[in-house]
Amino acid sequence: MPFIQHRKIFLGIAVVVVLAAVGIIAALGLPLGIDFTGGALTEVAYEQLPEKAYVETSLDTQGLGQYSLRETKDEAGRDGFILRTRDLTEEERIRVSGVLTDASTGGEITRFTSIGPVIGEELKDKALWAIVGVSLIIILYVAFAFAGVSYPVGSWMYGGITILALLHDVLVPTAVMALLGYFAGMEADVLFVMALLAVLGYSVNDTIVVFDRVRENLMKHRHEKKTKVVGTDGLEREEITYKLQKPFAEIVGEAVSQTLMRSINTSLTTLAALSALYFFGGEVTRTFTLVLIAGVLAGTYSSICIANPLLVFVAERKAAKETEAK
Amino acid sequence: MSKEKEKEGGSETFIRRFHAFSVLVLIGVIGFFVYSNTVNEEAKYPFKLGLDLAGGSHLVYEADVSKIAPEEVGDLMNVLRDVIERRVNIFGVSEPIVQVESSSFVSDERVERLVVELPGVTDVSEAVKEIGKTPLLEFRLVDEIALANSYATTTATGTVPLPEDPFIDTGLTGRYLASAALEFAGGNGGQLSNEPIVSIVFNAEGAALFETITRDHTGQSLAIFLDGEMISSPRINEAIVGGRAIISGGFTPEEARELAKNLNFGALPVPIELASTQTVGASLGEEVLQKGMQAGVFGLSLVILFMVLWYRLPGLVAGVSLLGYVAVMLALFKLIPVTLTAAGLAGFVLSLGMAVDANVLVFERMKEEYRSGQKSNEAARVGFARAWSAIRDGNVTSILSAILLFWFGTSLVKGFALVFGLGVVVSMLSALLVTRTLLLALPESQIDKSTLLSKLYNSGLIVKK
Repeated sequence: MPFIQHRKIFLGIAVVVVLAAVGIIAALGLPLGIDFTGGALTEVAYEQLPEKAYVETSLDTQGLGQYSLRETKDEAGRDGFILRTRDLTEEERIRVSGVLTDASTGGEITRFTSIGPVIGEELKDKALWAIVGVSLIIILYVAFAFAGVSYPVGSWMYGGITILALLHDVLVPTAVMALLGYFAGMEADVLFVMALLAVLGYSVNDTIVVFDRVRENLMKHRHEKKTKVVGTDGLEREEITYKLQKPFAEIVGEAVSQTLMRSINTSLTTLAALSALYFFGGEVTRTFTLVLIAGVLAGTYSSICIANPLLVFVAERKAAKETEAK
Repeated sequence: MSKEKEKEGGSETFIRRFHAFSVLVLIGVIGFFVYSNTVNEEAKYPFKLGLDLAGGSHLVYEADVSKIAPEEVGDLMNVLRDVIERRVNIFGVSEPIVQVESSSFVSDERVERLVVELPGVTDVSEAVKEIGKTPLLEFRLVDEIALANSYATTTATGTVPLPEDPFIDTGLTGRYLASAALEFAGGNGGQLSNEPIVSIVFNAEGAALFETITRDHTGQSLAIFLDGEMISSPRINEAIVGGRAIISGGFTPEEARELAKNLNFGALPVPIELASTQTVGASLGEEVLQKGMQAGVFGLSLVILFMVLWYRLPGLVAGVSLLGYVAVMLALFKLIPVTLTAAGLAGFVLSLGMAVDANVLVFERMKEEYRSGQKSNEAARVGFARAWSAIRDGNVTSILSAILLFWFGTSLVKGFALVFGLGVVVSMLSALLVTRTLLLALPESQIDKSTLLSKLYNSGLIVKK
């Protein structure tokens, strides 16, 4: 199985990808939207788009501090602007709306959002907690579900590796978000967090399916040996030791190839649904879709090329240590 | 095979086909329910659209509960919700939503918020003004000594040491108000003739509280605050039984009438402040909805097309099962009801791609058996049995995650978690019930028979000879 045989290459790629992702995020920063930072977003559409400079001159008199005005098309294809400012009071909102709608014929405020900084700060906390909480639940459940196969790799390892794969799967779309923010001016909003959570769900499922096959193959290819051992307290215990009939790497490799078709097909159907969303869905969910596409690709890669090679890697390290100890 | 056995086999096939037929009918019925409740304008179960799809305003108020005993906060917020709800109902919005949202345990400070959703109201200033009219009524005892001190220090030394707050909260607020009315003070000795006043009546609880306060503090002054401003501070002459009080503060008749009217709609038990606003124009929402549905139809078609091309006959079955998934999900959206937002819609489209996963898992296992020579029905049975542990473990983690998100998410995240969690459960059931039932009802075949049916059970894009 190439994925296991050349595991060092695949793991190497993963390390490079993760480092690049971290680098991109560190260098470009995550373009947090007003959902997190607080602020106001006003969208206006016109029959005839006014000069941007003209609108800016009128806005300058409103004492808004720093603001950004970007041209945009609304869902119906009308030209308009997106104005991003600090959060506005009710009075300021009325004044700014007036300035924008009066700038040209048919001016209409299509969307207005103002979020106080406290709410934004709180949402940031919640988003972080949600991601951490979900990861914890996953590690616990996976460790529990794989408790039956703690040889040659402890069941906690399955959970731990799942989390490592998850880290990869979350970092990649986050880096994509940073790039989208830098090059296309997109912003990370609550939808971005939901996309990440969906990626978490998808990726765990993907990894678990392969691990499940590893578990099944392990049970099929191991000998159970029970020996009676008298403990230091004088009580007799039964100790079960296992012996594998095939090298662990081979067992894992088989599991990967047996589930490969499923991994590819499920990611294809998911990508099919996502591309429909990208091409036909609304402007509002476009960022969400792109982040998810990145996540699904990363999730598929990690379950095949990270999680299982890591499993073999861990097993070999452990075996090497044991022989050393002897 | 003996005749009897054949007969038995025949009746078993009949039962399987009957089950499959029932499943198809059930999907049809659910589909019809969704359809008829969508096209019909006066349907009993319409889709509930969120503000970003239907257009409208979303206001978030922050309540100042710093002076409230923690165990009372919940009650007070409910009173606040009722008051604002009554207020919102004045402007005849269809189905306004007013709900309390507590910041969850993750933040250090407890913040209580009131979320007001007004579908169809795009002029948010009108709404903000109307809600802003809700008066905040408080009664506070005047601590004469502190009051005197604060004056004394300012006059004597000129420096102002932080004066103690001379007003002591009594806990008596607008929440205990039963009714208010405009009256004119009878000319008392001809001096205060016809001053407009507002007489208020407390409810039973408020009356009891009022009586206790006035009995315990006879001789002191009880100040009346309206929207944080002191209106008057009459002296308590005796314990007042019966829960009646009078607010007089040099009102014009107009002001007094307005105050009485606003108090009758309810007074705020705690001060509130507008923290965030969101408005979405109706035409924009409509557009987003259209596009979301379009994406859903295309996504569904693409997924079904892929399944049929790759898995052939079982793929077709998975397609039917996916249609069943869509019908059940949409019916649940209507029945629960789940408020659909742009995000929810996107999540649902995404779930179309993920929902077939259980099918894919089963078909792959089934294929292994089928290629090793098993009969198609037996292969399907083994496929379901073998794939079960993977389906279970993958879905349990998803369900646990959804529960966690639902538990401590904001309303938007809650909606997503609900759609996500429902999607996982329903897709699992659709694979285990619909796909399984239909698959087992199909005519049997085997790989070494080189019939068309035999090839239909195989998978892949190329048909091998």
